[in-house]
Amino acid sequence: MVDVNMTLEMVQASQMGMKALGAGLAVGLTGIGTGVAEMAIGSAAVGATAENKEIFGLALLFTVIPETIVIFGLVVGLLLLFV
Amino acid sequence: MFKPEQMSRLLIAASRDQMGPVVAELYRRKLFHVEEFVEAGSEGYEGFKIGTPLSGANEKSTDLIKVRAIENTVSVHADDIASVKTFKQAEIAAKIERELPALEREVEELTARRSQLDTRLKECEQKIAEITPFVAVPVDLDLYHGYKGFTALAGYVSREVILSVPNELYFSKGKEKNFLVVIVPNDQKSEVERALAEAAFQSVAIPVESGSPTTRIEFYRSQATTLGSEIAEINEKLTGIRTKHAEFLVACEEFLKAEVEQTEAPLRFATTKQMFVAEGWVPSENVDEVSNALTQVTGGKIYVTTLPIDLEHDAVPVEYNNPDFSKPTQMLIDLYSRPKYTELDPTLLVAIVFPIFFGLILGDVGYGLILLAMALGLRKFVTGEEGRQLLAVLRNASIMSIIFGLLFSEFLGFELPWNPIIFSRHLPIGTTEAGGAGSAIPALLIMSIWIGILHISLGRVIGMYDHAKQDHGEHRTKAVMANFGWLAVMWGILVAIWSNVTMPYMPDLTKLPIVAVGFNLGTYIGGALIIFGVLCIARDSVLEVIELPTIISHVLSYARLVAVGLSSVAIAMVINYIAIGMFISPALKELSLVGIVMIIVGVVIFIAGHTLNLALGLLGGGLHSIRLHYVEFFTKFYKGGGRKYIPFGMKRRFTED
Repeated sequence: MVDVNMTLEMVQASQMGMKALGAGLAVGLTGIGTGVAEMAIGSAAVGATAENKEIFGLALLFTVIPETIVIFGLVVGLLLLFV
Repeated sequence: MFKPEQMSRLLIAASRDQMGPVVAELYRRKLFHVEEFVEAGSEGYEGFKIGTPLSGANEKSTDLIKVRAIENTVSVHADDIASVKTFKQAEIAAKIERELPALEREVEELTARRSQLDTRLKECEQKIAEITPFVAVPVDLDLYHGYKGFTALAGYVSREVILSVPNELYFSKGKEKNFLVVIVPNDQKSEVERALAEAAFQSVAIPVESGSPTTRIEFYRSQATTLGSEIAEINEKLTGIRTKHAEFLVACEEFLKAEVEQTEAPLRFATTKQMFVAEGWVPSENVDEVSNALTQVTGGKIYVTTLPIDLEHDAVPVEYNNPDFSKPTQMLIDLYSRPKYTELDPTLLVAIVFPIFFGLILGDVGYGLILLAMALGLRKFVTGEEGRQLLAVLRNASIMSIIFGLLFSEFLGFELPWNPIIFSRHLPIGTTEAGGAGSAIPALLIMSIWIGILHISLGRVIGMYDHAKQDHGEHRTKAVMANFGWLAVMWGILVAIWSNVTMPYMPDLTKLPIVAVGFNLGTYIGGALIIFGVLCIARDSVLEVIELPTIISHVLSYARLVAVGLSSVAIAMVINYIAIGMFISPALKELSLVGIVMIIVGVVIFIAGHTLNLALGLLGGGLHSIRLHYVEFFTKFYKGGGRKYIPFGMKRRFTED
C-alpha cells in the first residue's frame, strides 16, 4: 500500500476514503444484522397481532429491539466521519 | 397525578323487586364497575345464584338484532353520524313500537326483491357468455338440436382439423383460440372425438336457444339493462330510507342497546329468591353520590356499604387520574399496558419526555409546522377517541419539534438566520458547506448519553419506590436493594470511566490522587460501587446478573436521539442540494426553455423528497421516542397489567335520559 511517491495530500485523501468505507461498512452491515434479526420477530409479531390486537404494543416492542444494532452502527459511522 | 383514581369496593344489597330501579340508576350514573359474580367457589355467597334477566330482555334483543340488520342493509353506522338531534327515551320507545315493524318489512321486501333481480341478472350474463362464441358461426341456434342420427360438437381447438368422416364443419380462426362447430353422424362420433382430441379440443356447451346468436345476445342484453335499472331503483329507495331514517336507526340502536344491557345486568349479580347482591367498584369520591342516589330511588329499601380492599388479591380496576395536559398520552400507556392499581402511573412523565425526545430527533421548524398543521387539521375528520388522543400527542410533539428547530436553527434542512443556539446539527453537505457553523456531533452524542443516564436513573429510582410500596417483608428489602444495585453498577462504571478518560461535557476525575497499582481513587470508588451493586442484584436473583451488559447497551441506545435525528437532517440537506444546488440555481442563472423544465424538476424533487423525509421523520421520531420509553425506561420499573375501569353505563349520543 505504501508508495514512496505519494504526497501528503494523497495519503490524507486515502485515509479519508478508508474512513468513509469503514463508516459505510459499519452502517450497512449492522443494517443487515438488524434486518435479519427483525425478520423473524416481525413476522411472528404480525401473526400474533392478527390473533389478538391487544398485544400490538408488546409486539412492536419486540420488533424494534434489534434496532439498537443499527443505531450502534450509525453511531460508529458518525464517530468515524466527524470526530 | 402519579396515582390512578382511588377506588372503593361497594356492596349493594336489596330485595329483588328493587332490581329494576337500582340497575337503571347505576346505568344512568355510569360510575359502577360491576364485579361479576361467579357461582363456583365464591366465599360468603353460599346459596346464591346468578340472576335472571329482567322482563322484556328477549323482545328487546330481538328488536336490537332487527335494527342492526336494517342498519347493515342500508349501511348506516353510528360513528359516521354527527348527532344533531337527540330523541327522548319515551319518544323513541313509542316510535320503535309504531314504526320499526313497517320499516323492517319495507327493507326486507326491497332486499328480497333485489336479490331476486340479482340472480336473474347473473343468469342473463351467463347466457350472454354462453352464446358469444357462436356469434362467429352463421347458423341459427335451433339448428344445433333436434337430430336423431347426428350430434353437434362445439369447442376451441389449437389448429384447423380435417375429419375423415362425413361432416358439416365450421371453423373460425380467432386471435388466441380457434372456435369450431361440427355436426357428425352418431355412429362415428367417437372417431371424430379422437381426431379432435389431437387438436387439443376444449368442449363448449351448446346453448338451448332458438334464433340467430346475435339477436339472442341482444335480447339478453336488453333484459340485463332492464334488470340493472330496476336494481338501481331499489338501491335508490334504500338510500332514501337511509337518509330519512338514519338518525332514527342509530338512536334506536343506542336505546335498545342500553335497554338490553340493563335487562341483562342481573346475570352479573348474585341473587336468592328474595334478594340480590351486587359488588363493584366506584371512584372513592363518588361513593356518597352513588349510595345517596340508590337510597333515593328505592325509598331507602336498600343496603349500600363499602368493603375493605385487599390490595394483594383484589384486582382493582384502574382509571387514570391525570391533568388534562397528559390525558392524550394515556393512549401510549394503554398501548403498552394499563398500570396496576398499586403502581406509579408514568403517564405524566411520558407526556413530558416523549415530546422532548421527538423534538430532539425531528428538530426542524418546517417539519414541525407541517406536522402541527396536520395534527390540528385532521381533528375535524377523526372522530374516534383514540385517534383524537393520537393527534393531541402529535400536536405536542410537533410543538417541541418547532422549539428544537429554533434551537438547532433548522428549517427544512436550511439554516435559519442565526447560528444554532444549542449544539449544531448542520452537516458539511451541499449548500451549507460554506459559512455553516459545522456540526457538533461528539457534543451531541455525549448529550444523548447524559439523557440516557438520567432517564434510566429516574426509572430505577421509581423502581425502588414501586417495590417499597408493593412488596412486603424480606422480599421488599431485597427488591429495593436490587434496584439500588443496578444504579450503583451504572454509576460505578461511569465513575471508573471518568477517572481514566477525559471527555467533554463529563466530569474529569483523572486528576484524583493515585492510590495503588497505577489506578487513582476514582477507579477504586467506581470498582467498589460495581461490586456492591452486583452483590445487591445477585442477592435478589442470581440470574439477573447475566443482564448486566444491558446497562451499557441501554445507555448507548439513547444515542439514537442524535443518530436518527442526524440522518433526517442529512436527508433534508441532500434533497436541498439536489433540488436547488443541481437543478434550480443553475437554471435561474440563464433562463431558457430547458431551464424552466429544470426548475420544475427541481421543485418536484424538493416536494417529493421532503414529503418522504417528513414521513420517515414522523415514523423515526415517534417510534424511536416511544421505544426508548417502552424498552429502556419501562423495563426498569413498570409492570402494567392493570384492569381497565369500565363503568356500567353508556355515553349517550342520540338519546336523552
